[in-house]
This record gives sequence, C-alpha cells and structure tokens, in this order.
Amino acid sequence: MLSATHIAMIDRGVSTIVASHDALQRPSLMRAVGAAITPDGAHITVYLNRPACVQLLADLQVTGQIAVVFSEPFSHRAVQVKAGAVELRPAAAHDAPILARYLASMEHELGQIGVGPHHTRIMLSHQLADMVAISFRPEQAFDQTPGPKAGACLLSGGGAA
Amino acid sequence: MSVITLDDIRPCLEGIIPAQIATCAQDGTPNVAYLSQVYYADARHVALSFQFFNKTRQNILANPHATLLLLHPQTFAFYRLQIRYLHTQTEGALFEGMRAQLAGIASHSGMAGVFELKGADLYEILTIERVPGNSLEAPPPRCGLLGQMRRCSEQLARCTALDEALNIVMATLAQELQISHAMILLLDPAVQRLYTVASHGYAVSGVGSEIELGRGVIGMAAQALTPIRITHMTGASLYSHAVRRTLADSQPDLALDTDIPYPGLAQPQSQMAVPILCAGRLLGVVFVESAEELRFSFEDEDVLVTMAGHLGAAIDLLRLDGEEATPAAAAPAAPTCAAPDTLLQVRRYRSNNSVFLNDNYLIKGVAGAIFWKLLNDYQQRGRTDFSNRELRLDASIGLPEVVDNLEARLILLERRLAEQHLPIRLEKTGRGQFKLIVGARLELTEPD
Repeated sequence: MLSATHIAMIDRGVSTIVASHDALQRPSLMRAVGAAITPDGAHITVYLNRPACVQLLADLQVTGQIAVVFSEPFSHRAVQVKAGAVELRPAAAHDAPILARYLASMEHELGQIGVGPHHTRIMLSHQLADMVAISFRPEQAFDQTPGPKAGACLLSGGGAA
Repeated sequence: MSVITLDDIRPCLEGIIPAQIATCAQDGTPNVAYLSQVYYADARHVALSFQFFNKTRQNILANPHATLLLLHPQTFAFYRLQIRYLHTQTEGALFEGMRAQLAGIASHSGMAGVFELKGADLYEILTIERVPGNSLEAPPPRCGLLGQMRRCSEQLARCTALDEALNIVMATLAQELQISHAMILLLDPAVQRLYTVASHGYAVSGVGSEIELGRGVIGMAAQALTPIRITHMTGASLYSHAVRRTLADSQPDLALDTDIPYPGLAQPQSQMAVPILCAGRLLGVVFVESAEELRFSFEDEDVLVTMAGHLGAAIDLLRLDGEEATPAAAAPAAPTCAAPDTLLQVRRYRSNNSVFLNDNYLIKGVAGAIFWKLLNDYQQRGRTDFSNRELRLDASIGLPEVVDNLEARLILLERRLAEQHLPIRLEKTGRGQFKLIVGARLELTEPD
C-alpha cells in the first residue's frame, strides 16, 4: 500500500492533478480542487470542478481509468496513483469542510513558492454545486519526484509511471 | 470567441509555473507528469525536454496524443492544449536553446548534475482551450516596444560608422530598455573567437576580452546561431562563464600575460545572448544580463533579435562603405596629452602581434599589427594622419581575409588605448580617417 509518508502528504492537501482518457485513447487532464484519503490509504477521493473538466469527467465515467499525481510544490516530492475503476457522485454539504481544509493547505503549500493566497483561491475557485467527487481504490503507485528515479513502482501492478 | 493562438499565451511558456502533461500507454492507461517548462518552438509547435526515458516518453512513442495543462502566470487562468508528438531533435537552434535554459533551471531547482538533455521533443498543437474558471485581468501589454525599435532602427539607418552603430545599440539597451549590463562582441573570423568591442554597466569595460565559440551562453548562441535566454541561473551552472582567454592557452610557448578579464557579472540570475547575423553569416553577439531572476521576457528577446538584425545589416553595409575617406568639417585640435619628453616604451612580439606599453599588455592580433604600423610610420616619417583605406591595402598588417572588419579593429584599438590613460591615443578625424596623437617620446622594440 501507500507509505505512511505518502498518505500523510495526500491527507494534508497538496497539488493534485487528475487524468483519464477517451475511447480513442486521447488523454484528458485537469487540476483537482480538493482531495481526501482514508487513514489506511485504501480509498482516495478527488474533487473536480465540472465546468472546467467536461471531457475529463466524461472519460472517467466511460473508462473508469484514472491517474492522479499528488505533489508538494516546494520540494517537488510527488507520488502518482492509478486505478481502473472510479465512482462519481455530486459533492454534498458534508464535502464542504474537506474542500475548505484542502484550500487552506494549498494556500500554505503554494505560499511557500511565492504564490499568494489570493492567487491560490483563483486557481481553486469553485461552487459546491459544480463539484464532482471521484472516489477510487489505488491499484498502482509510483514515485514521481523529478529525476532519474521518477516512475519507480511503489505498489502492485509493476511498470513505470 | 476568437481562436486562441500560442502567441496569445506565451507567458505560460516562460517556465515560471510548472505545467503538467497527460499521456496514454498503448493499453490506454493514463499517466500524468510535471514539466518544468514547455518551450515555444514556433506559433504552431511546442517542445518538451527529453531527459529521461520515463513513462511519458514511452507513451508518446506508442501513442503520440498528449494533453498539456498550463497556468498563466499573470492571470492564473488555465489553458489546456491538445498536442501530438512529431519527432525529436538532438541538435540545432531549438535543442541548444533548451539545453542552455535547462541548465539554468536544473541549478535553480537543486538538480544540477541530474540534467542532461537527450533531445527536444517537438509537438504540433492541435487545439488550445481556455479552461472555464476565474482569472485575473491580464496586465496591459508592454507599450512602447515598437516605438523603441523604431528609434533604434532610424538611428542605425542614419549612422555612418561602426562606433556610432555600437553606441546606438548600447544606448537603446541602457536607456530605452533599462538593461543595466550589456556587451557587444564581434567575431574574429580568422581565429573563430568573439571579442568584446563595447560594454556598459561593468566596473571594467572588458573591451578586447575574448570568448570561444561554443563556450557559455554567448559562445553557444554564436555557435548555434540562435538566441539563448536563461531566466534562472546560478554561478555553479555549466553555462555560467567566467570565460578568460589567455595567450598562454592558445600559445603555451609564450608566457605573456595578454589576458583581458571578461567583465561579466559574478552571479547573474538572467542572461540572454542574441547572435548578430547578416546574410546567414555570424558577425557577433549582443549579450545582456541581470542579477534579477526572470529579468528578460520573450518580449525582450523579440526586441533584441530585431535590434541585432538591424545592427547586423548596418555592420555589413558600413564595412563596405567605410573606406571612403571624408574629412570632418572641422577637425578638432589635438591637445597635447603630456610632456613630450616622457618616455613610452612599446614592445611588439611578432609571433602574435601582441603589443605592450610600458610592460602592460595592450592588444594583439590584427589590431596589434595595425598599431605597430602606425607607430613605425609616426616614428620614421612623423606621420600622424591615416586612412582606413591605406590600412586595408597594407600587406604588412596581414588582414586575415576580405570580410575582416577593419573598423572594428580600430574601435578596439582606440578603446583599449583610451583605457590605458597613457599619452597616446587614436582620434577619429572624419569618415574613414583618424589621427594618432602621441604626447611622449616613443621607444619601439621587438624582442623576438
């Protein structure tokens, strides 16, 4: 499973980039505006802003294939997780605190590389009514910290990311 | 809404905020990777650095479709680009420009030594989408760039001598573009090295200092005939170049100190070198630098490339035109520099035409040969007035080839002499004409 360090990093709230692909195997991509992980690392939820991710959400719905990179902006420390099945649901009131906590963490994370909180709020701006929560069980995980070791497999499934 | 072009979002390609790329494996499995920079190749193409054989690389070789996510560093708007991998370049202008920029980035992010550019992966842009979402108002475009270019171009079109052209470019850089450190270097075609002919903003001018082709930012721009712009840089970078050319390097049998220190900043953060070309030939390099990060944008690069083009044309035309001697309307009276009984020892080494004044190195090469001829004419026949044309025709100087820029050699000699603060100097008296002003007794010797 994911290491305690990686679980802690994802739980804290760091940069989260989500990808999928369509039937013609063309990739789709967007930054998530929130993320959460269960303490055991077995379930991850990422939040996407529907107007900004029409293709990505359609692809997730059709293929169920997902890849997500979680990255600490200051250190570039990063992990990528992948799965072949996802569950989509509209976000609800109980998701609001998770999104608020994520935003607060990102203001801190991006603040460390000189991005002010005002700019972070623009990047992650959304309406709760537009939020889609995508939950999945990570099947593969890869070290994604830049450099020659990027792509080293951390979890079952093999191959390089 | 009108179609967004790559030129509309060029600030996204400045490497200020990392980008992300998504690709798919043959079986469709998506993959996300961070990119330190997406490079502008031209209005329809971007290039990505190929440093490691990672998953992105494997994927695009199997499936060329990829998606980029870019964040505008000023408006914080997201842009999504559908792109298609075309091929990989392993040499040439794009590759060299990326390699230099990457060296700066690598040092900046603590990854110096890790980077090695294996290739520049070229992608065609299929679509550019502005991702719906909040953003800030775009700052107004920098105004006045075209006006600045016009003034520089007008002045260059009117100038009648190389030193005027160099001064115009230096003044445009300093006063119009507020660039505080700049140099112009010209190519010595015989030895394939660049020599500094003008500079501003440095404690010492460094006029006469030399840089090999291929060395540092300046040498790479000259060799690859491409602008090189580095937005983050550290002194430890491969491309940092406290380049010093010494005579001992090239001619180890001569233990003479003919080193003119390169004047550059000790710890530059931004640098840009733009080749001066004319008819496809390298004439020199315009170089600027700053202690600030991100000091030079793509707009500065556009301006410098345009200005270097005008300067190249001017240099080429003036070289053909500069031989027509036209006396100045009123030649300035030459003031005496010092008591004429002061002794000035001049030593010339024939092997490389290096000239020393009172044991201090002055100049070498063609400019040294010119200076020696002037001094001998002065000493033997009392001549003080000379023309470019007679120097051009004088076989004893041995100008390397017909394309050699005699006027550039004279500017170098004039500036080097002026910096010595000795009672000897050159003064222009008209177009293609100059005077040797000597305020001392000369003793000319040739040790070898």
